[in-house]
Amino acid sequence: MRTWSLLGRTLAALLFGIGAAGAQDKVVNVYNWTDYIDPAVLEDFTKETGIKVVYDTYDSNEVLETKLMAGKTGYDVVVPTSYAMARQLQAGVYRKLDRAKLPNLRHASPTLQDRMNRYDPGNEHAVVYMWGTTGIGYNAGKIAERMKDAPTGSLRMIFDPEVVKNFADCGVNLLDDPADLFSAALKYLSLDPDSKKVEDLQKAEAALMAIRPYIRKFHSSQYIEDLANGDTCLAFGFSGDIVQAKARAEEAKKGVEVVYKIPREGAQMWFDSFVIPKDAPHPDAAHAFIDFMLRPDIAARCTNAIAYPNGNKDADALVKAEIKEDAEIYPPAERLATLYTISPFPQRLQTQLNRMWTRVKAGR
Amino acid sequence: MGAVPHWHASPPAAPAPTPTLPHAAREGGSGLTSLVSITGLSKRYGPVTAVDAVDLEIARGEFLALLGPSGSGKTSLLRLLAGFETPDAGRIVLDGQDVARTPPYDRPVNMVFQAYALFPHLSVAKNVAFGLEMEKRPRAEIESRVAEALKLVELEALAGRRPDQLSGGQRQRVAIARAVVKRPKLLLLDEPLSALDRRLRERTRAELKDLQARLGLTFVMVTHDQDEAMAVASRIAVLNHGRIAQMGPPAEVFDRPADRFVAEFLGDCNLLEAEVLAPDRVRLRGEAIELLVRPMDRPAGAAVTLALRPGKILLGPDGRNMLNASVESIEYLGDLSRLTVRVGAATRLVLTQVNRAGPLPAVGDGLFLTLPPETLVALPA
Amino acid sequence: MSAGSRLALLLPAFWLLLFVGAPLLIVLEISFSEVISAIPPYAPVLRWGEEGLRIALNPENYALLIGDDLYIHSLLSSIRIAATSTFLALLVGLPIAHGIARAAPRHRPWLLLLVILPFWTSFLIRVYAWIGILKTEGILNTVLLTAGLIREPFVILTTEWAVHLGIVYAYLPFMVLPLAVALERIDPAFREAAADLGARGWSIFFRVTLPLARTGIAAGCLLVFIPAVGEFVIPDLLGGPGTPMIGKAMWTEFFGNRDWPVASALAIVMLVLAAGGILALDRVQRRSGEGLS
Repeated sequence: MRTWSLLGRTLAALLFGIGAAGAQDKVVNVYNWTDYIDPAVLEDFTKETGIKVVYDTYDSNEVLETKLMAGKTGYDVVVPTSYAMARQLQAGVYRKLDRAKLPNLRHASPTLQDRMNRYDPGNEHAVVYMWGTTGIGYNAGKIAERMKDAPTGSLRMIFDPEVVKNFADCGVNLLDDPADLFSAALKYLSLDPDSKKVEDLQKAEAALMAIRPYIRKFHSSQYIEDLANGDTCLAFGFSGDIVQAKARAEEAKKGVEVVYKIPREGAQMWFDSFVIPKDAPHPDAAHAFIDFMLRPDIAARCTNAIAYPNGNKDADALVKAEIKEDAEIYPPAERLATLYTISPFPQRLQTQLNRMWTRVKAGR
Repeated sequence: MGAVPHWHASPPAAPAPTPTLPHAAREGGSGLTSLVSITGLSKRYGPVTAVDAVDLEIARGEFLALLGPSGSGKTSLLRLLAGFETPDAGRIVLDGQDVARTPPYDRPVNMVFQAYALFPHLSVAKNVAFGLEMEKRPRAEIESRVAEALKLVELEALAGRRPDQLSGGQRQRVAIARAVVKRPKLLLLDEPLSALDRRLRERTRAELKDLQARLGLTFVMVTHDQDEAMAVASRIAVLNHGRIAQMGPPAEVFDRPADRFVAEFLGDCNLLEAEVLAPDRVRLRGEAIELLVRPMDRPAGAAVTLALRPGKILLGPDGRNMLNASVESIEYLGDLSRLTVRVGAATRLVLTQVNRAGPLPAVGDGLFLTLPPETLVALPA
Repeated sequence: MSAGSRLALLLPAFWLLLFVGAPLLIVLEISFSEVISAIPPYAPVLRWGEEGLRIALNPENYALLIGDDLYIHSLLSSIRIAATSTFLALLVGLPIAHGIARAAPRHRPWLLLLVILPFWTSFLIRVYAWIGILKTEGILNTVLLTAGLIREPFVILTTEWAVHLGIVYAYLPFMVLPLAVALERIDPAFREAAADLGARGWSIFFRVTLPLARTGIAAGCLLVFIPAVGEFVIPDLLGGPGTPMIGKAMWTEFFGNRDWPVASALAIVMLVLAAGGILALDRVQRRSGEGLS
C-alpha cells in the first residue's frame, strides 16, 4: 500500500506540477535574467528556509513581458528592468509588497529606491536587486589590430559607420533591445536619450540603419560567451555581462582580453528590481526569497559573482575590491552624472518603436 | 502460318503433332548464316551455376525459343545476351564482335520485357521514341520511325495514350514497337505472352510469328510453355540445369527427345523400360512383347528407356508393332480423348485419340494398338 | 450505419474541432483585435456592452502586414530560403536514398535506422551543436586554419548558408525516407529497359528513375519545404539578422513587440497562403495527371 500511495503522490505531482507542492508553499518559482545570480545562493536559501527554488532565465524584457501579459505564468519572483516594469505596473501585473514580511528591506539603498520612485510611485511593488549601465565591450587585441586609435570609450565605436565598419569582420553584436539601442543612438546624436518624439526616434532609426550592415548579430545574452572566446570583438551590452565575459576570458587563458567601457558621452543607467506577479502561486515564499536576497552578505556574494552593483547599502563592505574599485562598474560621482535613465513608452509609440527596431534588424 | 490449328486450345498435356514449319525447313538449325555465336558461356550466382558452359549458334532470321522450367538458366542466358549480366566465362560473338562484356546500351540488341516495362510517365509515342532519342537522332527521323513502328503494330491511333490506358495486348505491341524501332540485330523476348490471358495469348503468338516473318529479324524468346515455343519458334533450345539439353526444330525436339528430361518436359510421354535385342528391336522389360523401334546405336542386351508420345499410338491394326490392349480408363477432353490402356502383363500406356463420329471405346474393352516403329525412340538409360 | 462506426467518425471530428478549429478561431479573433497594456495584451473583439453584443473589428493589423513591406520581404525570403534548402536537401538526400534503395534488403532497415537515429536527440541540441562547429573560432575554422587551407577564419555562422546547412541537416530524414521508399518501389526492369534502349547512367537516372520517383520527390520536398518556411529555431540560432524569415518575424511580433494581434494576423495570412498553395498544387497535379503526354 505504501508504494502505491507514493506512486499516487508522484503522479499527482507530475500531473499538477507546481500546484501540488504549492499547497505547502515550499517552492518559489524565480524567473531572472541569464547569468544574474551566484547559483550557490539558491542552495543556501533552500538550506535555510526549506523552500525549493525553481529557477528559470530570460534575456530580454520583452520575453518577460510577453509571458507576464499572457497571465498565469506561475512565477513568484521576476526581475524586470525599471522602465519595462513601469509599463507592466500600469497593466496591473504586479502585487504590492508586504513590508512586514521583508525585514531586510532596511538594507535597501535609499538613493536607488528614491530613483525607483519615478517608475514605482511609493516603492510599493519593487525593490532594487542590481543596477548597471549599457555600454561598450570589446576584444582589446582584435580592436587594436584593426584600428590603432579606436575611440574605445566613445559611442562612436558603435554608431560611427566609419569606425564600426573596421570591426565588421570580427563580429559586432548589439543587444536585441529597442529601448537600449534607441536611447544610445539618441545620445550619440546629442538628442534627449529619453525623447518620446517620433522625429527624434526616426533620426535614431536612421543612425542605426547606417551601421546595420556591420552588425553580425542582435542578441542579448550570447555575447558574453562570444566575447570571452573571441567570436565577437565588439558588443553593445550590459556592464556586468561584459565584465563576466572578461572574467571568463581570463579563466580560459586563450589570450583574449575583454574590456568594458561606459561611453563618455553618457550611458543608460538601469535598475532591475524584484517584483511579485499578481497571480504568483506562492506569495509567501516569494517574500521570503526577496528578503533573503536583501541580506547584505547575499547581495555582496551576487555582486562578486556577476559584477553588477547591487541595491544594498550595507553590502558594499563585503564586495571584492577589484569590483568595487572598477570605475566602469562602480562609476565615481562625476561619471554618475553623465548617466541617464529612460521612462516607459506609451503603448502607441512603443508599437512604432518596435516596428522601427524590426526594420533595423531586418536591414530595410 | 495463318491457320494455327484450333486444337492448340487443348490442354497442354496433350500436344498434337505440329506440322512442319516453313522456317524450320528453311533454316533448320544450320549455323551457315550464324548471327550469334556463343561459346563456353558461364554465369554463376554464388554457389548456383545458372549458365554452364553453353555453346549456341543463333542463325540470322530465325525464331529461337529458349525453353525450360524455372531455374533452368533460360532467363540468365537471355540476360547475358541483353547485357544485363556479365558472364564469368565465355564469348558472345554477335555479327563478328565479341559483345560479352559490352554494356546493354552499346549492344545492337533489344528486349521485350516480361511485364513490358513500359515507362508509365511517357506516352506510347514517347516510349517508342525513347531509344531513338538516346541515339540523338534528328527529330524528323524520330517522328517518322516512331510512326512506322506504331503502324507495324497497328497502334497509330493510340500514340498519345499512356501505358496505363492500354490493354495487355496493346502494351505488348508497344513494347515490341519500342524495341524494333531501334532496328536491333537481335530481338530478345522475355516471356512475352505470359502477361496475357489465355485466349489473347493464342492469338498473339500467331501475330508474333507473323511479325517476325515480316521483319525478317532474329528473335530469341524465353518461355516455360512448350506449346508456345512449338507454336512460334523455328527452333527450340531446351535448357536444364544451365545446359542445353536439346536443340532443334520443334517437331524434331518433340518427336525425338534426346533424353528423359526433354521427353517429359515437352508434354506427356510414355516411358517404357526395355532390353535391346538388335539395333532396331527391343523387348519390354518383364513382358514377352518385342517391338521394332527407330534404329539406334546400342549393343544387344543393353537396357534402354523408350519414349513414345501418346498421340503417336494408332488404334487398330496397322502394320508392325501391333499389340492387344484393354482399356483401363478414359478421359473425354472434347476434341480428344485420353485413354489409359494395359498391354501385356503390367505395362500401362497413355494414348490420345482425336474424337471423330462414332462411339468411343469403353472401360474394359479390348483394343488393337499399333506403335509405329519410327515413333519409338530409345533414350540413354 | 452502426452507432460504433458513427462514433468512430465523430470522435476525430470532435478532436479536430477541439484542437484545430477552436484555437484557430481564437487566433482569428485576436488578429482583429487591438493591442493594449493588460492581461491578456489585446482588447477582445466581442464584448458584452449595455446594448448587447458589440463587435469591434480592427482591420489595422492586416493593413500593417500589407502596408509594411517587411512582412512580404520576410515571407519571400522564407520561401526563397526554404526552396533553396529543399533543393539542397534533395541533392543530398537523393544519393542517400538511392544507396538505401539499392542496398541489400537485409541492410535496408539498418540504413533507415541510421537516417532516423539523429531524431533520438533533441532537435535544439543538434542545431546548437552546429554553432560550435561553424562559429568563427569553431571546429571547422580551427581545422581549416590548422590544415593551412585558409588564412583567415571565414564567417559562415550568422549567414544564410548556415541556415541552409541547418535546415538540410535537420530535415534530411524527411527527404530521404519518402525518396528511399519511392526509389525502392521502382521495378528494376524500368532501368534495364532504359539501358537496353541505349540510356547510360545519368540518362537513366534523369529520364526514368527520377520521373518514376516523382511522388516520393514531391512528398519529400513538401515535408521539408513546409516546415522550413515557418522555421524559427534554425534561423534564430544559426542565421544572422540578414536572414529574415517569417517564423522569426512572428516570434518578434509575439515576444519582441508583444503584439499578439499582428502576430495572429500574420499566422492567419500564412495559413491562408499555405492552404491556397496546397490547393493550387493539387489542382495542377490533377490537370497534369490527365493531360501530360
